[in-house]
Amino acid sequence: MNNLSKKYGDTVAVNGISFGLSKGEVFAFLGPNGAGKTTTVEILECLRAPTGGQAKVLDYDVSKRSDQSEIRKRIGVLPQDFNAIDRLTVRENIDYFGAMYDHQLDSDQLIELVDLKDKRDEQFKTLSGGLKQRVGLAVALVNDPALVFLDEPTTGLDPRARRDVWYVIERLKKQGKTVFLTTHYMDEAEYLADTVSIIDHGQIIASGTPNELIDAHGGKKTLVIREAGEDGLKFLPPGISRPQLKNEDDIYIPLNNGELTTILIAIGQTPLANKEIEVRRPTLDDVFLNLTGRRVSEEGE
Amino acid sequence: MSRVYTIVKGHVKTWFRSKSTIFWTLAFPILLIVLFGAIFGTGNTRFDLYVQNQDLTANAPTPSSQGYVAALNHTGAFNIQTVPAEMSNPVSYVRDDAQLHNRGQRLLVIPVGFQNNLTNRKPADIQLYMDQSDQASPSLAGVITAVTSSYAASLSNSTVSLSVQQVPIVTHNTRYIDFFIPGVIGMTLLTSGVFGAVNTNGRYRELKIIKKLATTPLSKIEWILGMVGYQMFLAAISITVILLFGRFVFGVTATIDIYTIGLVVAAALLFPGIGMVLANFVKDADGAEAAANAITFPMMFLAGTFWPTETMPTVLKVIANYLPLTYINNGLRDAMIYLEPAQALTNTIIALGLAGFFIILGSVLMSWKEE
Repeated sequence: MNNLSKKYGDTVAVNGISFGLSKGEVFAFLGPNGAGKTTTVEILECLRAPTGGQAKVLDYDVSKRSDQSEIRKRIGVLPQDFNAIDRLTVRENIDYFGAMYDHQLDSDQLIELVDLKDKRDEQFKTLSGGLKQRVGLAVALVNDPALVFLDEPTTGLDPRARRDVWYVIERLKKQGKTVFLTTHYMDEAEYLADTVSIIDHGQIIASGTPNELIDAHGGKKTLVIREAGEDGLKFLPPGISRPQLKNEDDIYIPLNNGELTTILIAIGQTPLANKEIEVRRPTLDDVFLNLTGRRVSEEGE
Repeated sequence: MSRVYTIVKGHVKTWFRSKSTIFWTLAFPILLIVLFGAIFGTGNTRFDLYVQNQDLTANAPTPSSQGYVAALNHTGAFNIQTVPAEMSNPVSYVRDDAQLHNRGQRLLVIPVGFQNNLTNRKPADIQLYMDQSDQASPSLAGVITAVTSSYAASLSNSTVSLSVQQVPIVTHNTRYIDFFIPGVIGMTLLTSGVFGAVNTNGRYRELKIIKKLATTPLSKIEWILGMVGYQMFLAAISITVILLFGRFVFGVTATIDIYTIGLVVAAALLFPGIGMVLANFVKDADGAEAAANAITFPMMFLAGTFWPTETMPTVLKVIANYLPLTYINNGLRDAMIYLEPAQALTNTIIALGLAGFFIILGSVLMSWKEE
């Protein structure tokens, strides 16, 4: 993808972005709501036409009509908030969408992959949110795609259901599928992705492996002393960098090199030694915060 | 083609598994037929007589013509219904009104100048429109002729010549239920077409099913063909059920000819076309459903589903001419019940024209991909 952009009137949804995916990797397109993730994905899925730049999917040009039909045959898509057909069963839904392609994978095999064997003959409308999303994943894989687009696959799911979806994505990765994942969950990107690109206001602000991004933009490690209270602050050695009180009673201390040992020795003989003490590594959340000055919000795009 | 088949099959399965849609497409029309059949009855139609008195002076019937009608009434043999004098086509008015009220279709017209001719000793003719195949015809005509002669004799001036001129008409002996069955078919095609299209285009868009399909090799045309194919299937099923029910419960014999088929095909394109136009103008699926209600219900009542449009006030008659369902209803009646191929053809051509317009408009408006 090279310098891709999309404008709606005067609004610029995607502003000259460029990136590429390697075969077999899980790529996470990470950003807050309204950053331009879905627009970008839908350009790649040939659902929207770009207003500038170029994009190639599996070596086919998304702007060429003849190439678009080749792309459609070879990609699998799970749209954001997708629902299958209510009154068809899990298996019927898989076969329904499978029939749109010249070749489809065996539905039993897909049902096994997303772990829905018991629900095979249940109507879609009777399933819980997490199970519905797994049907969506099976449907996205029905044509044995070379590239799978998953647009916010875990939004709105409870933690258990999110884990189940992650598990399926991990299995796809093991099968060697290339996965293009959009998400506004930092932990999801950190857990699943080989490569992450962070998009904000239609522009890519950082790219790399999760570790590279954290090392480069995550900032310092933090020492957390839980339930230490305001009184706890006076036991800290002088000269260390600005301790902060968070969640009412927790002390957060950003660590400079060598400070950890100094602090631990200093508080060893104080009441703080009996508290829960933890060293936190920065996360992609911190990367985003440091790059934009904001936290990623939780609403849907 | 196999993709279109899959779409049709998906819709059919969904329909079959939804109790509420089965109710609206099959049980509801049957329920209406039973209700209306019971309300308007199906009993015999003897000795009803429509009278149009055209002989007016200062907007009131002339004394002579009034006396003649009174003489008819005195016999007690007739159930006389008055046709307004200004009605320019009394025969068709009688056909519709008689059907609605389940009366015999016989019309007596007292012409302009009736009293004048009597006073000036000129011959005066009264026209009696009657179906010769109507079993009550001979006795009815006999009574009317007798009343007419005795009325002429009772006049002080006994030399007047007053005669009854019989005009044969073809009535097919239709009853209200015969009129109603094609209307119920039209209504069912209307509601299942409009609501079906709103559901599969509005609701499926909201559920991102259309977005998902747009990322597959399926084309917009195949999707629309699948929806129309499903409507044809639905039309075939509901028409079969309605006709069988009408046949065995009310003895309605309906003819299925090329025009019937043409009209059903037109309806299966026309009403989903209207639904698609709605679903594209009102993006929110609930709103589109409300709009569909707002359009189908008045159309159902004004387009001659439950009563003939000719019996409605002029303003509503004019509106009826602009409603697509009017042409489907009228055409189905002409083809299935009245056996009037010329009129059926006209209605079929208009319906097919409207169908082409709406399905193309709906298809062009429908956004398969995103903006």
